[in-house]
Amino acid sequence: MKLVRAGFGNNNVDTCARVCHSPTGYGLSKTFGTSAGTQDFKSVAKTDVIMIIGANPTDGHPVFASRMKKRLRAGAKLIVIDPRRIDMVKSPHVAASHHLALRPGTNVAVLNAMAHVIVTEGLIDESFVRERCDLVDFEMWARAIAEERNSPEAMEPYTGVAAQDLREAARLYATGGAAAIYYGLGVTEHSQGSTTVMAMANLAMATGNIGRDGVGVNPLRGQNNVQGSCDMGSFPHEFSGYRHVSDDSTRQMFESLWNRPLSNEQGLRIPNMIDEAIGGGFKGLYVQGEDIAQSDPDTQHITAGLRAMECVVIQDIFLNETAKYAHVFLPGSSFLEKDGTFTNAERRISRVRKVMEPLSGKSEWQATIDLSNALGYPMSYSHPSEIMDEIARLTPTFAGVSYEKIEQLGSVQWPCNDKAPTGTPIMHVDRFVRGLGKFMMTEYVPTEEKTGARFPLILTTGRILSQYNVGAQTRRTENSVWHDEDVLEIHPFDAENRGVKTGDLVALQSRTGEISLRAEVSERMQPGVVYTTFHHAKTGANVITTDFSDWATNCPEYKVTAVQVRRTNQYSDWQERNAREDIELRRIAPRFATAAE
Amino acid sequence: MSLIKELDYGTPIRLSEDEVTLTIDGVGVSVPAGTSVMAAAMSMGTKIPKLCATDMLEPFGSCRMCLVEIEGRRGTPASCTTPAENGMIVRTQSDKLARLRKGVMELYISDHPLDCLTCSANGDCELQDMAGVVGLRDVRYGKEVANHFETDSPLALPVDTSNPYFQYDPAKCIVCNRCVRACEEVQGTFALTIEGRGFDSRVSAAGVSFLDSDCVSCGACVQACPTATLMEKTVVEHGQPEHSTVTTCAYCGVGCSFKAEMQGDKVVRMVPYKGGQANEGHSCVKGRFAWGYATHKDRITKPMIRETITDPWREVSWEEAINRAASEFKRIQNDYGREAVGAITS
Ligand code: SF4
Ligand code: SF4
Ligand code: FES
Repeated sequence: MKLVRAGFGNNNVDTCARVCHSPTGYGLSKTFGTSAGTQDFKSVAKTDVIMIIGANPTDGHPVFASRMKKRLRAGAKLIVIDPRRIDMVKSPHVAASHHLALRPGTNVAVLNAMAHVIVTEGLIDESFVRERCDLVDFEMWARAIAEERNSPEAMEPYTGVAAQDLREAARLYATGGAAAIYYGLGVTEHSQGSTTVMAMANLAMATGNIGRDGVGVNPLRGQNNVQGSCDMGSFPHEFSGYRHVSDDSTRQMFESLWNRPLSNEQGLRIPNMIDEAIGGGFKGLYVQGEDIAQSDPDTQHITAGLRAMECVVIQDIFLNETAKYAHVFLPGSSFLEKDGTFTNAERRISRVRKVMEPLSGKSEWQATIDLSNALGYPMSYSHPSEIMDEIARLTPTFAGVSYEKIEQLGSVQWPCNDKAPTGTPIMHVDRFVRGLGKFMMTEYVPTEEKTGARFPLILTTGRILSQYNVGAQTRRTENSVWHDEDVLEIHPFDAENRGVKTGDLVALQSRTGEISLRAEVSERMQPGVVYTTFHHAKTGANVITTDFSDWATNCPEYKVTAVQVRRTNQYSDWQERNAREDIELRRIAPRFATAAE
Repeated sequence: MSLIKELDYGTPIRLSEDEVTLTIDGVGVSVPAGTSVMAAAMSMGTKIPKLCATDMLEPFGSCRMCLVEIEGRRGTPASCTTPAENGMIVRTQSDKLARLRKGVMELYISDHPLDCLTCSANGDCELQDMAGVVGLRDVRYGKEVANHFETDSPLALPVDTSNPYFQYDPAKCIVCNRCVRACEEVQGTFALTIEGRGFDSRVSAAGVSFLDSDCVSCGACVQACPTATLMEKTVVEHGQPEHSTVTTCAYCGVGCSFKAEMQGDKVVRMVPYKGGQANEGHSCVKGRFAWGYATHKDRITKPMIRETITDPWREVSWEEAINRAASEFKRIQNDYGREAVGAITS
């Protein structure tokens, strides 16, 4: 991010967290005052009620799922809010007390209805609210949420969740002892992602489930260093430690240390960059370790944007999908070749240590420095630990972090500074970071993505255990024995209507595009909802996702797309063109021919 | 650089405000209440022989290797299942204990192929270590007794190599149950069971191959196995690692700690690190096994440039690639304004 702010002289830097967890940052900082989860993983061992919303921990966060299951086998209760019957709902010796199988896109409606039950049935933790929260906001929120239109009965037609079941789940959350919320991309990748995060924060405050062991509101983050990039200010509007670029004192501090005037204008987010590129005003992009042509929604829009640019620089270990549209390729390093740190979902900073020399002969941070130097902004670090030291100097919440301390303690959970010299496992213990907890209004607004006669089904997307995100890594391991293609899961009822059987090739069509893939008839789905993963580039699941996004942060709405499914015997035009381009746009001049695909 | 070996206390660490004080082999030691006699001994550096106990799992008490004498108690209780108590006086070594342990060991070894030299676990096998510790020198039972390892034995079962990352060789199993318990307690999948009774019993993935079972390949069973029965295929192929470095998994937001176990600059296996506070010694299939992409043939290791996206890529020096990127960005900013370039990072 320093390269952009000082080297490019603008704030056009963004991160993949945009496509995953930006609503977490927004929602939690509005209510609690920090942008990260409240607990350490260990805390789950003290939980009495676990509520999982829009996350599939056994596939997405397997090692933490094992910790949850251990606690559940020891007697804790489980509430699952998810359109699909995920494994946690029923697995050996673990069964959810309540599975609220909502219609995709109605998270806010369900959470509001739960809040309604808690407010109207007198389940508020009054002393917690009185001592720790802003009462004016609370009163306003409670009055609104108590209105009949937020009741489980009134919401049932939207959510498809039986009011009685929802009432019982709400009572369990409020009165079952220490209750903790764990949520995933099923919450954030929605047009109301930020609202959902705030609705969860409201629930936790209203029931006093914050600030001690066993409670809290916790994102299960997708990628290893998502938290890290957010913390480090890889956002167009924020410096490290979540401080806005227009904040003069912060900016001056950076300016004097970096010796450069910095822009106080918010930069472009990924979708804006693409739009601007298509409009002709944005021409050069440096992409580090991301594959936006596969991972971001509405693939055809993204590739059109990339094609319109004059210089796309990719730093990656493989010729990924985005590299098909690039002009300069800088070979990256795998984690085995890197020195650095990773910050995980519990704000824990751990060391990554180099176990072999970079195959490319140059480490990634060195390449970035070289690029900055060539741009005329000299940077000189001799080791990544010096970068960490600089971050510590510039970021109050990291002031106490250093490689030395991480070596000593094994790892450190931020905030780590004079007030918390060894880090902070659990946040908001005596007071919220923002002072008083702030209840935020969370009105349910149905998504604009509507089903209708042409597109009667809702598509949601997710991931499975053996593959990881865009699959660039896992696809190149033996893990493919478990998952060699993306399939479309469809409920028997919808399948029968369309004459579809497991194994059939089906065409999946949305307003933005069409792809073909194999169907798998599955009882995990509810009627009207279909599901697929996005691990294989050739499937192109994101060709059909739309670019509706969260109102506050532009986090794309992967989880809800209106679609139609029909049997077919051929691959879609996009897939055939893409297969051709896979070869054409990836050629390497023969005289140096290597084993590229 | 050397191989990082983590201590195994034999039973899980207990956290308790209350302490108990006991005497082991004449030395006083204080431990949190609930700690086993075995772990109390280990906390002062005394390794009591053991096979079925490991500190990732609750004690099970089946192998009878860890017997001790406790003053005022009859018989020889198992130290893994006996909680330490105030005032206890424990002896971990005596002629009687040595005889008992040797007898147990002899029975195990009589049904174990003695191919240590060519075994993949050679040098990292708890059964081998224990045979050494108890001073086993010969085995009185011959091959005429029923066994699981002679290929013509009616009890012999084939090696299961169905899982892409590890194999299961029933001939070497000592039925300590550690894998089954790891699958239940650590991973929570309950894919493994012990099938059959008594001498006939063997570990089974519920009657089907590992690949066809509910196994999710987290590796907890392989980690728990004290022998070469469950073993990483990379170790079978390349041999034991000789040095290791602790690092962090590059996949998901859990951020598990691993020991990268190496031979030279080649990774032999990734083993979850018990000292890692995010994962406490557990792992999933991705971090544990799916690291082969790092040296996949599709890796591009040379900088490349091209004029247009339909041109073939041209390999160039680092300098040329970086200069091209920088001059293009500068040109674009010149032609279209400062805001016309940007970056996306992971
Ligand atoms: S496979 Fe290994 S861990 Fe499992 S019972 Fe046999 S020896 Fe023990
Ligand atoms: S081992 Fe599995 S659970 Fe742990 S960080 Fe890696 S991918 Fe995540
Ligand atoms: S180690 Fe105690 S009985 Fe096996």
